[in-house]
Formats: sequence, C-alpha cells, structure tokens
Amino acid sequence: MTDLSSTGPVRTGGTARRNGRGLTGLLLVSVPVALLGWLIIYPIFNAIGRTILRTDGTGPGFSLDTYVRFFSDGYSLANLWLTLWVTAVCAALLLAICLPLSLYLRFAKSRVAAVVQGLSLFPMFVPSVILAYALIRTIGPNGGVDLVLNALGLPKINSPYLTPWGPIIGLVWDNIPLTTLMLVAGLGAVSDNAVEAARDAGARPWAVLRHIILPQIGNAVLVVLSFTVLSIFSAFTLPYVLGPASPEMMGPFMQRTFGQVMDTRMAVTQAVITFAICAVFGAFYVRSIARNRKNGR
Amino acid sequence: MAQLTLKNLGKSFDGTDVIADLSLDVADGELVCLLGPSGSGKSTVLRMVGGFETPERGAILIDGEDVTEVPPEKRPTGMVFQSHALWSHMTVADNVAFGLKLRRLPKAEIRRKVTEALDLVGLGDFGNRRVWQLSGGQQQRVAIARALVLEPKILLLDEPFASLDQHLRERLREELRDIQRRLGITTLFVTHGQDEALALADRIVVLRGGEIEQAASPDRMYRAPETRFVAGFIGSMNFLACDMRGGRADHPLFPVAAVVPDGPVELAIRPEALTVSPGRSAGMSARVHRKTDYGTHLLLDIVLEDGARVKAMCPPSGAFEAGQEVRLTASQVALFRDEVKLAEVRTEAREVAHV
Ligand SMILES: Nc1ncnc2c1ncn2[C@@H]1O[C@H](COP(=O)(O)OP(=O)(O)OP(=O)(O)O)[C@@H](O)[C@H]1O
Ligand SMILES: [Mg+2]
Repeated sequence: MTDLSSTGPVRTGGTARRNGRGLTGLLLVSVPVALLGWLIIYPIFNAIGRTILRTDGTGPGFSLDTYVRFFSDGYSLANLWLTLWVTAVCAALLLAICLPLSLYLRFAKSRVAAVVQGLSLFPMFVPSVILAYALIRTIGPNGGVDLVLNALGLPKINSPYLTPWGPIIGLVWDNIPLTTLMLVAGLGAVSDNAVEAARDAGARPWAVLRHIILPQIGNAVLVVLSFTVLSIFSAFTLPYVLGPASPEMMGPFMQRTFGQVMDTRMAVTQAVITFAICAVFGAFYVRSIARNRKNGR
Repeated sequence: MAQLTLKNLGKSFDGTDVIADLSLDVADGELVCLLGPSGSGKSTVLRMVGGFETPERGAILIDGEDVTEVPPEKRPTGMVFQSHALWSHMTVADNVAFGLKLRRLPKAEIRRKVTEALDLVGLGDFGNRRVWQLSGGQQQRVAIARALVLEPKILLLDEPFASLDQHLRERLREELRDIQRRLGITTLFVTHGQDEALALADRIVVLRGGEIEQAASPDRMYRAPETRFVAGFIGSMNFLACDMRGGRADHPLFPVAAVVPDGPVELAIRPEALTVSPGRSAGMSARVHRKTDYGTHLLLDIVLEDGARVKAMCPPSGAFEAGQEVRLTASQVALFRDEVKLAEVRTEAREVAHV
C-alpha cells in the first residue's frame, strides 16, 4: 500500500517534467528547422520548380527540356565527369594522406606529434583565394619551384596550373585539417588498451591496423568520405582559379552559364543536378551518423 | 612452467626516475602482487614486463632468456588490462580467438581452445554475445580468457577488478586464484588494494616511489612489517609518538621495554593487538569516542588524554558506549624510528597493565 501511494506522485512528477523538457526541446529545435526550411528546403523546391515549369511563350507548362539538354550535351557531361573524377581522386588522396597522419597523431606520444598536429591544422586558417594564388606562385608557370629548378639548371616542371591537378592539389591541401580532425576523433574511440591487448595477442602493427583499428573507425571513414565529397563537389574558388577552362568543374560551369551565357534556367538545372548527387552522399553521411549513435550506446 | 627475473630495472619518464633500480625474482607458478600507492610505478613495472614500455637500464628474463628488447607481440606474456580492452566490434568468441587466428591454427582447434577458455572462466554459453552485451565482471572474465587461451608463460594483470563492485571483486579474485592454481601459471598482479593483495598473493611486493619497500608473504607482511610505510600501508595501524629513555618508552599507557638507543620513537600497535576493558588506566585517561559495529567485531575509536586517537578491535559482545572511560593494554608493539623498525615487543597483556 505504502509502495503504491508513494509511486503515484513520483510518476506524475516525472511526466510533468518530461512534458516540460519536450516543450523546451521543441523550442530549441524549431529555430534551426525554420532556418533550414527558409534557406535550404524552400530554395530547393523553388529551383526544381523553376527548371521543370516553363513560363516562356506558350504560357505555363511542364517540361524537362533543360535536363534533356544537359544530359545530351557532350560538354556538360564532360564537366560533370571531370567534377566526379576530381572529387574521387581528392577523396582517395585525402584518405591516403590523412589516415596515416591521424594514426600518427593518435598513437605517437612524442612532442613532435603536437607540432605536427599544429601544422596539420594550419591550412584551415588560410582562405581559399589566398591559397589559390600561393599555389600559382609556387607551382604555376615560372613559379617558385620553376625558379629553383632553373637555378639548378634543371628543366621546368610540367605545371598542374590550369589542369585538373591544379584544383586537386588545392582542394586536398584545403581539406586536410578537417579530414584529419574527423579521423583523429574517430580514432579516439579506439582505446590504447585495446591496441595494446592486440599486440599482446601477437598482432604486428599491420594486423592491429587491419583487424582492430580500421573496423572500429569504419564509420568515421564513411563520415569523412561523404563529408569531403560534399564539400569538394560543390567547391568553387579553387576550381575557378586553378582549374582548366575546358572541360571545367561544375562550380565555375554554373557560374559561367549564369553570368556569361545568361541562361538562368540551365544554370539552375546544373545546380539541381549537382545537388542531387550531393544529396546521395548526404544521405550516406546522415546514415552513418545515425548508425554511430545506435552503436555508441 | 616459467620463471621471471627482473634485474636492476630502471625507467624514467621525461627525465624523472619512475623506477630507479628494481630487482625481483618470481618463481615458477608463483603469484606475486605488486602493491603500492598511486603513482608508485606498479603499472610501469608490469608494462615493462609485458613489453609496452622499454626499460632504460637493466634486464627482464623469462626462463633465463633475455626478453628486454622483445616487442609485446613476440613475448610469452599475456596481459589483462583494467578496462576497455576488449574489441567491441567482435563477438566474445572472436575476442578470445583473435590471437589463435593470428597464429594460423586449424579452425577446429581454435574452436576447441576458445570453448575451453570460456568454460574456464564460466562463460561457456556467451561466445556469440557482443562485448557490450556483457556486464563489467563478465567482460573482465573474457579478458582473462583471452589472455589465458594463448598459454602465456607469464600472466600479467593490471588492477583487473578495480572497476567492479566489492562483491564481484571478491568473487572474481577467488576464481582467478583457483584458475591460477589449477594452471600453475606464473602471475604478476598489480593492485592498490591491500585486501586484494593479502587474499591473492603468494608473495606481496610493496612498491613506494619506484622502489621495493618490502617483499614478503602476506602473513609476514601483515605481522612483521619492516618499515613504517609498510606498517601503515597494509592493514590499519595505530602510531603513537614518544621517547625512549633508558630502554623504556615514556608513553604513559604503553611503557614497553626494549633495547633501543634513546631518542624519539613511534609505537606501532595493530587494533586487534589492543585489549580494551572498562576502567581507568594508570598513566593517562582514555575515552571511547565512537563505536562502530561490524557484526564480526566492534571497532572502537578511542581518544587519549593527550589528544591522540587509537583504534581498537574487540569482540562484538563488548559493552562499550561513547564517552566511557576505558583501560588499554597492548599485546604486541613495534617500535619505529623514522622509517626503520627498531624492535618488536610482545608483552603479556597483564604485565603491561600492572606496570
Ligand atoms: N607514459 C607516461 N608518461 C609520463 N609519465 C608517466 C607515464 N606513465 C607513467 N608515468 C608516471 O610514472 C609514475 C608511475 O606511474 P604508474 O602508472 O606506474 O603508477 P601506478 O603505481 O600504476 O599508479 P596507479 O595505482 O595510479 O595506477 C607516475 O608518476 C606517472 O605520472
Ligand atoms: Mg597503474
């Protein structure tokens, strides 16, 4: 009896508090949701609407002509392929560079590691435009590297400036800090003891990496990949300044279609296609985060 | 099976000596507990034996073979860590099987050994579970099975039960002791709990500031501590400061006689070596300050006239109340000057009482 009567008020108190918390939660969430709707969701549907609704000449009507034009135009497709290729190469290079780097930062205990950490974050504080011009001055035609080679009596380098490798070098450099940070954070989930226990069981460094570390940071790698793909695919400054004129990457292509060709509807179509591809990776990203949550318990 | 020898080990971190010069022999099948306060270097010693730290001086020998430079993956040692050392992306059975798979044993043999090891720690039915589906105690048992399945020559455990509650700790301690006995495996066990060391060890090594303070059997460690530090660290001990004059302590309650040079000393008396009876002592009054009933015994907190506090253990039948005046007699007193033990005095309770 006493038990029952004592649980009564406690339980009601609990629900009251839970309701209060729910309300606060809703309020907290409502601001970003409203912003999301206003700045992202609405423009997306607006853009899609503008590409499929024709308002010229014969009055309003439904048409996919810009999409047809995009996918039948060799130049547009070449641009899309170039962008996909650059993105894939960048993602691969980033993983190849940042995974060893983050492994070093996570497991090295020397003081050098702190310095390396500082250095690896440095690119984050350099704006893309400055980075782009710095790259032109060093690896561009008659840039710093050429001057040194020339002084040594060696032939000039085959400059990556205005080839797809220009933006690749720039984008990789630009994305190293964030990628490294995310991987280091992922590696934080692998405890020192877990690694030591593996070595104790007879695993050499390579086996530790393969059987213990990589399986535990698989999700972090997925997150990193989708994140870099998202940011590189839609990059503008570096491809614009460093990239080739033809074929060009989607960012500059859109800008040119909009600003010079003045074909607004085509530019929006390109944007929608870019967005659709990014959205696939976005879904990947969200899914891996959700899975992380579930496993993290 | 195996014998472990540490010879003049030395290790420093960032220029400060953590282990100065440590030598220790662990006999075949012996279970040695490294005991000491936090930061005394217990884990460092253990990790050096496991190969996770490299000593700067000295050598580590297993069965007479120098393994000082051998990396952990090639050492015949198995380590159990305090916590978070299971691989959460594998099942329990995969955790235990990992080392066997690396050794490329046949599948059937791996399965047999894994089952055996899990049975040994009482987790025979848990092979398919995920690590995070186990309780803390079960996880530590898996860690023990994982270390044992590789049949290491030396088993190393670094406070394996520290994150568990008292009951579980005591149970696992006994289970570990049984397993260790059955396999006859040479074991080095790190703990900072003196009860754990007393319950488990064949021999206790007390570390302090990276040096061995005393190495002895639990029984001797408790009854005949050689330094004041060990006396205070293992079990509880009352220390009373006084002076020696002409072979007799000038403490009014415990004027023990001992052949000791004159000068300041500390009398060290175990709570169970004190006998409490109602009444007034001759030299100095003593009052019960607090009484704690532990069921098996009473623990009396007694204030002496000069403000000193002593703890005394007496049978649960003793009728004492707070504030009551009592008479104290000691059956065994050790005398320390600075860190060194000068003498050990056994007194007939009666004799002292009537001085
Ligand atoms: N990797 C390290 N780098 C720097 N100092 C260390 C390192 N490992 C241990 N130390 C220092 O060495 C000393 C001994 O540490 P150790 O971990 O061996 O102590 P412990 O006896 O195991 O203590 P606890 O009971 O707290 O685990 C401590 O002063 C500690 O600060
Ligand atoms: Mg420790």
